[in-house]
Amino acid sequence: MWNNFKNGFIKENPVFGLYLGLCSSLAISTSVNNAIGMGACVTIVLILSNCIVSLIRKITPSEIRIPVYIVVIASLVTVVEMVVHAFMSELYTSLGVFLSLIVVNCIILGRAEAFASKNGVVASAVDGLGMGLGYTFALLLISVVRELVSTAGITIVNPFNSTQVLFSFTIGALEPFKISLFSSSVGAFLTFACFAAFFAWLKNKPNKKEAK
Amino acid sequence: MAELFTMALAAILINNVVLSKFLGVCPFLGVSKNSKSAVGMGLAVIFVIFGASLITYALYYGILVPLNIEFMQLITFILVIATFVQFVEMFIKKYSASLYKSLGIYLPLITTNCVVLFVAKDNITQGYNLVETMVNSIAYPLGFMLVLYLFSCLRERLDSADTLPSWKGNPIALVTAALMALAFSGFVGIV
Amino acid sequence: MSNNIIYAVIFFVIMSGFYCIGYYFNHKTPKPKGCENLKESCDGCKITSCMNHPVHDMEGENKDA
Repeated sequence: MWNNFKNGFIKENPVFGLYLGLCSSLAISTSVNNAIGMGACVTIVLILSNCIVSLIRKITPSEIRIPVYIVVIASLVTVVEMVVHAFMSELYTSLGVFLSLIVVNCIILGRAEAFASKNGVVASAVDGLGMGLGYTFALLLISVVRELVSTAGITIVNPFNSTQVLFSFTIGALEPFKISLFSSSVGAFLTFACFAAFFAWLKNKPNKKEAK
Repeated sequence: MAELFTMALAAILINNVVLSKFLGVCPFLGVSKNSKSAVGMGLAVIFVIFGASLITYALYYGILVPLNIEFMQLITFILVIATFVQFVEMFIKKYSASLYKSLGIYLPLITTNCVVLFVAKDNITQGYNLVETMVNSIAYPLGFMLVLYLFSCLRERLDSADTLPSWKGNPIALVTAALMALAFSGFVGIV
Repeated sequence: MSNNIIYAVIFFVIMSGFYCIGYYFNHKTPKPKGCENLKESCDGCKITSCMNHPVHDMEGENKDA
């Protein structure tokens, strides 16, 4: 079970390794703040959907299991969306349409089908947590680079009260070298490409040792 | 009329779904390995988005608003899209084998394509009327198809290029996508 | 307010019923000649939510056999 959990981070990182959930990870990673919010939402939906799918796996007729999963996921996302709208309206506006697009995030249906429909509730929940944290980790990596390069600093605010700044710093030395392009789509693709190449390199390194 | 044209142009080039809104990046990387599949996928997406947007538009203003249950928007839309894809696949299977041969494998991929859900939602949040909805739901997938086709042509050449082993495949494709996004950001001024 | 929720539930059941029926009948409809092995012509991207992805095959094939 621990291995399942660990796999989600590096070897089978859903974003860098499997290229899943790219849309939201590219669009949301403009600031660390958004990345944490989006990561938390996806993780919660993943854990809950994995649990529910695993609970109902014995009573779902296999002919219509995909419709059932889609309905479960859509209901969960609606609930999460409402909660975020009610309590974290600032986050709701900055995540925008991507919050509801969690429904079609490849990771969630993929995990429901590949893992939760064949395993017990606890294992599925752990798998959901691992995958969700792997996704959050990937988002964080991209967003840290993008926010540092485009604004020369990082700011994290309290999601429940956007005026309260929890953590903020700027690097004065970077100030003259800000590249605002990195907050647009070009920077997103470039940053992501670099990380993807780095993770591909990480993945292939141990294989070479085994071959020798 | 001119306004509709500007709107369509903006949706195709400036607010391009893939390059500036980051939607449909998964199929953008997955189905762009050759230009033939890019065209097939693009056509299937155009058809499904157009049909699904019209149905969701009708359901939203015909049922959800009068009954005051707008909070069901997301569930309704995803179900409409999924149902629509199932019925389209069924009809194509029954009545046109040749069409099924060329588009069949892309239909299951579309159910969970974020572009479809985005366009359906966008029509509602922007408050478009019926004509604007129709223009919007053709223009966005057209932009998707355009970029997908261009990208697949680039990618056929990328495959034979000599890149570093860890950059092979998707990473170098993403760098290419970044350069395309840079080029497309030049269109911002035209409308 | 409670009326809304009842409407929502009824609407939801109708919609998902439609989807399940569509899904069921679609998978009952035989594939036209020459298209039985379309999945093999798919190069296989990693999008697991695509129904062509091998993840979705395992249980279905056992049922058929």
